[in-house]
Amino acid sequence: MSIIEIFFWLLSGLAIFSAIMVLISKNPVHSVLWLIVVFFAISGHYILLNAQFLAIVNLIVYAGAIMVLFLFVIMLMNLNADADPQKNVWLKVIGIVTGGLLLTVLVSAVRSSNDLVNRSAELKTGSIGLIKSLGITLFNEYTVPFELSSILFLSAMVGAVVIGKKE
Amino acid sequence: MNAIIVSAVWGVVMMFCSFLVKNKGLYRHIATFGLIILLIAIFLNAWGINIFDIDDHNMLHFNNFGTAFNTIAIACTLVYVLLTGKEVEKYGKYSAEYFTLIFFSLCGVAVLSAYNNLLMLFIGIEIMSIPLYILTGSDKKNLKSNEAALKYFLMGSFSTGIMLMGIALMYGGTGSFQLEVARVQGLGPGKSLSFLEVTGMLFLFVSLAFKVSAAPFHFWTPDVYDGAPTVFTSFMATIVKAAGFVAFIKLLEVKVAETGIAVDKLIGINWQLLIVILIIATLLVGNITAVFQQSVKRMLAYSSIAQAGFMLFSLFSLNDIAHEGLLLYAAAYSLATIGIFAILVKMKDYTFEGFNGLAKKQPLVAAANTVFLLSLAGIPLTGGFFAKYYMLASVMKTGTYTWLVVVVVLFAAVSVYYYFRVIQAMYFKEGDAATEEFAPSFKFALVALAALIIAIGIIPSIVLNLFYF
Repeated sequence: MSIIEIFFWLLSGLAIFSAIMVLISKNPVHSVLWLIVVFFAISGHYILLNAQFLAIVNLIVYAGAIMVLFLFVIMLMNLNADADPQKNVWLKVIGIVTGGLLLTVLVSAVRSSNDLVNRSAELKTGSIGLIKSLGITLFNEYTVPFELSSILFLSAMVGAVVIGKKE
Repeated sequence: MNAIIVSAVWGVVMMFCSFLVKNKGLYRHIATFGLIILLIAIFLNAWGINIFDIDDHNMLHFNNFGTAFNTIAIACTLVYVLLTGKEVEKYGKYSAEYFTLIFFSLCGVAVLSAYNNLLMLFIGIEIMSIPLYILTGSDKKNLKSNEAALKYFLMGSFSTGIMLMGIALMYGGTGSFQLEVARVQGLGPGKSLSFLEVTGMLFLFVSLAFKVSAAPFHFWTPDVYDGAPTVFTSFMATIVKAAGFVAFIKLLEVKVAETGIAVDKLIGINWQLLIVILIIATLLVGNITAVFQQSVKRMLAYSSIAQAGFMLFSLFSLNDIAHEGLLLYAAAYSLATIGIFAILVKMKDYTFEGFNGLAKKQPLVAAANTVFLLSLAGIPLTGGFFAKYYMLASVMKTGTYTWLVVVVVLFAAVSVYYYFRVIQAMYFKEGDAATEEFAPSFKFALVALAALIIAIGIIPSIVLNLFYF
């Protein structure tokens, strides 16, 4: 087992463990902190795939900015274990069944996919996650969606002003 | 490409107007002007004149169907602004921004009517929906409007998440975002699609069904349509909803055509049966619940679910008649609903009792409203009749599940009940319907719209000819 494989299994285990901890933590703040661990583990995977830029952006945007926002909101709402609303037991059962069905679909999709048989990820090779190839793709092939998403952000900004500003 | 760029640019123009133009009454005229330019731009597009020559790497594909729908969407928005543009000014001082958001939403509609790439589908859906979340919450002092906006935003985000997941899985299955991508594995007889792609398709199916508010993904619709300011409900329930269907039918037909296999093999389970279940559930929920409503606005929200059930037929049959029918349905349904909402905005009381005796006070308005309601119910000589007729004809052409036609006719009969309740209130009940002042120009516009709906009902080819430019 090479060092990369050891890292891969380590990071995968960490990601799955902390993802489960996100769900079962009673305290929302702990959930958010575990979620940050998930993002770090996934960033580790990106580095293994030779996608340094993606790894860094993932850390800065998700683990950095979005999680800080998350924490702020949760702290402002002052949630704690006592304020946990009592859920109907049937609602819980329905939720488990629905989630379990989704899991079944996804697992069977991956298991029965012919494309994934005998394939392994390109470790240490491949230039897809490097900033150079990303930039070239973005400004050649994906120019139109890139420019169109500016309209999306513009409308979101207009919305923020309209909703947030005092009358 | 013309329509996408012109609508985005005009949205920016409206933003500048909000601080350059002091006269608030001018905004809707500027918007009207912009929509006329947009209409010219889309006509130029249809005649093959592209103002902007952009290499989109085959991410957008402009065909007759998309262009025809886009023309209908813009024309309906023009009618909408002409009829109800004045009401927009009632909600705070940001009326120019509201028009901006409407233009941005139209840009999303234009993207959706031409997309050829899952990434563009996602961007189109988002550009179309995000302005709506804001418009829903534009009545800031009203708690119901706030609730509706939050609900819409959260539910919409969830459906967006599901859609993204679906797109990611499809990408995993095919290695490309293009709709008609060469298969990774050869599709011979007996082979099916890659399972990743199948799962992705299912996720896309769910999220698009949410956007068009098909049962059982409809739960947001009544609350959002009821809570949003009436004038914006009118826009959401008509043009945007029809655009969702256009996106949906494009996705399905490309996936069905490219695989070259029977429709019922598309995702391993019987694909058509899935849509049949969706249709019956949507018709059942929409029609039966609409019967029990007390508020006309809420009734219209449920009726929009029911009408979505009829439009789902085009997804079931996926043939020429389905395309023609969807165009006709989009036009007839949008125009009639915009007309009803334009009258509803002026009513003081939104319950059925509020309409009591309207015919005596405002005979012209009541007559126009009757035409709109008859069109929604699908009575002959109105546009709604041919829309429903084409939908049923498309099902008959497929030759499978023809018993659906009987079910649909039954549900159409149910829908007549609640549409006629309004007509009954207007004509046969004593009462003093409290309304705002109807300007003569507004009455004229209503009558013109009613005439247009009847014209579509007599010669549907005026809409269908758009299809064969």
